[in-house]
Amino acid sequence: MTSPMSSPVRVAEGERGVASFDAVIVGAGPAGSAAAIELARAGRRVALLERGSFPGAKNVYGGVVYGRVLDELIPNWWTEAPIQRWVTRRQTMLLTPGQALTVDFRTENWGKPPYNGATTHRADFDAWLAGKAEEAGAKLLTSTLVTALRTDPGGRIVGVRTDRPDGDLDAGVVIAADGVNSFLAKQAGLYAEDQLANSTLGVKETLALPRETIEERFGVRGTDGVDIEMIGATKGIPGGGFLYTNLDSLSIGVVVDLTELGKAKVRPEELIAELKRHPSIAPLVRGGEIVEYAAHLIPEGGYHSMPTLTGNGLLIAGDAAAMCLAAGIWLEGVNFAIGSGMYAGRAAAAALAAGDTSTRGLAGYRERLASSFVLADHHKLRGAPGLLMSERVQRKYPAMLCDLVEGVFQVTNPQPKPGFRKLLLRSAKRHGVRLRDLARDAISGIRSYG
Amino acid sequence: MGKALVVVALRQVDPFATVDPLTGTVYAQPRGGLSTADECALEHALRMAESLDARCLACTVGPQEADEVLRTALAAGATEALRVAGEPASEGHTARLLTEAIRARYADPALLLCGDYSMDRGTGATPALLAARFGASQALGLVELTSHNGGLRAERRLDCGRRERLAIELPAVCSVEPSTVRLRRASLPGLLAAREAEIPVASPAESFVDTRIRRRARTAYRPRTRAIAAPAGAAPGQRVRALTGALTEHEPPRLVFPANAAAAASELLDYLEQRGYLP
Repeated sequence: MTSPMSSPVRVAEGERGVASFDAVIVGAGPAGSAAAIELARAGRRVALLERGSFPGAKNVYGGVVYGRVLDELIPNWWTEAPIQRWVTRRQTMLLTPGQALTVDFRTENWGKPPYNGATTHRADFDAWLAGKAEEAGAKLLTSTLVTALRTDPGGRIVGVRTDRPDGDLDAGVVIAADGVNSFLAKQAGLYAEDQLANSTLGVKETLALPRETIEERFGVRGTDGVDIEMIGATKGIPGGGFLYTNLDSLSIGVVVDLTELGKAKVRPEELIAELKRHPSIAPLVRGGEIVEYAAHLIPEGGYHSMPTLTGNGLLIAGDAAAMCLAAGIWLEGVNFAIGSGMYAGRAAAAALAAGDTSTRGLAGYRERLASSFVLADHHKLRGAPGLLMSERVQRKYPAMLCDLVEGVFQVTNPQPKPGFRKLLLRSAKRHGVRLRDLARDAISGIRSYG
Repeated sequence: MGKALVVVALRQVDPFATVDPLTGTVYAQPRGGLSTADECALEHALRMAESLDARCLACTVGPQEADEVLRTALAAGATEALRVAGEPASEGHTARLLTEAIRARYADPALLLCGDYSMDRGTGATPALLAARFGASQALGLVELTSHNGGLRAERRLDCGRRERLAIELPAVCSVEPSTVRLRRASLPGLLAAREAEIPVASPAESFVDTRIRRRARTAYRPRTRAIAAPAGAAPGQRVRALTGALTEHEPPRLVFPANAAAAASELLDYLEQRGYLP
């Protein structure tokens, strides 16, 4: 298959592609399909290009789809979306090799309409959403890799080149929803710095287990499910772990800093193997048969790592625009992809209607994002990724807190019970945490999340 | 006189289907496609059509979902497509449906190509049955196929790494192994045109029941139950030996050299009858 080019293809005056569309959307993931739905419903001719053999064929994610944003696109989406389980139980775990401190929350409210989060297989979910785009009138072309943007002599983007013979397409506007490490955004010069420096690596295994076993081990029934997020499960490499329930399988994995993983010289599958051996995780995954192994880059840099979102005839959406929100207690990607795609579609439709798809004509995209949860949440939580990936949060605080709690529950008779203050000082000292750093991080946390 | 016709018979299969090992239930996925052998057959058909200056017709038997494999063929360069509506009960039925539908709309093909057998428990019998119905010569399980002086040259594998070279007269039905050629990449205009193409549908005039074939419900294979008497013996060791046949004299294996196929078949039938496998 042809590799993507490093720079756009300059087309001569009057040179045409083999077909012309109002909009060409690159990538039939959640962002691309949401954009295609909006544009097709606005009566525009839309081509939705997907490099995989079907939408979702190559996509990986590590958690939960929060579908509230779909209310605007597909009313009562929960009645037809290919959902595995509705997350009614959410756990956050701090792990050390021999300890686990868990915050466990469950609510029945998330197990009934309009629901909150759900686990799903991306191969099913993305294919379903792309099917909605096709129903709206978009033309889905699979197994088609976009290798380059096409620009006119003035530098305006006028279409794309694909890896197929006679594979040039003309477009009024191009929406790049081609995922993390977006070649198109880089070709257009919209990334100021190396995208990989702000990317993490997610690896996961899908383990088949009987449905009854999953329900017994995780304390759920019917289509209720569990989402567990972990810190301290990655051998000191900045990152986290996750475990969530599908209908008759579990997904377990880790997300780790790419640079630090390289320095540690640890293979990612070793991290999963160690996580599966942890005394608090092993009983949950025992007997699971590996049916899938997947790995993918994740754009976790947040607000500060986003590219310029609009070019001359080009919009960037979804992971291509680093829209993944990794803020510890909030780990969301698919909903931000759908949201950004939806607003990209609306902005593109408005620009096409106005006859101006230049950078200025497409400026409505950023305005729409800024007035919605997409950029509002990213802006508010812009400090969270740095705080979460810091050495203290990753390497010191999990062990310190686990020791603190162990001290609280440890009965030390005939010694009298130590006070909390003494326990905190003792565990902080043991793990090399200075109280002023703790206070500083607490203030940073309040600023980030407050 | 019109151009000759090269037909490729395709079958939509589900490469992602999983089978429950206990019940034999097949869990089909919605994303079916062409098997590799069918992709090779399609590529050979396109090459042969180019070399014989012929039209290339892609056809299949199946429900509307099977249109996708025909669109794949159209995108790759097939000039026409035809879907025969129906759910064939056997390979013979498939061959009959295809023959009747092709003859009703076109002349007999100069060349008909198939994959050697389909992924879903295919027996590979359909190409031979098609050859019989069209009265064409047949060459099955080919790894190479080229045109030569108005006919075909082909190769197929033999045992011990040897190959057999065949000269085939047209009209012919050929099936190909999933090897040596790869389906060409469809052009973007071809892909766009195939998406919009109307797929003609042939509906069989009457339902066909092949009375020579008795079909039972499809279930997972289970060996026939055999009643075995409780092992005799006072001691547990004796009973285990009686049950397993360990340490007892057995009839040694016998080498047979039947003179011909009929004698070999007779030998096999006798063997099965002696051991109670035949009624």
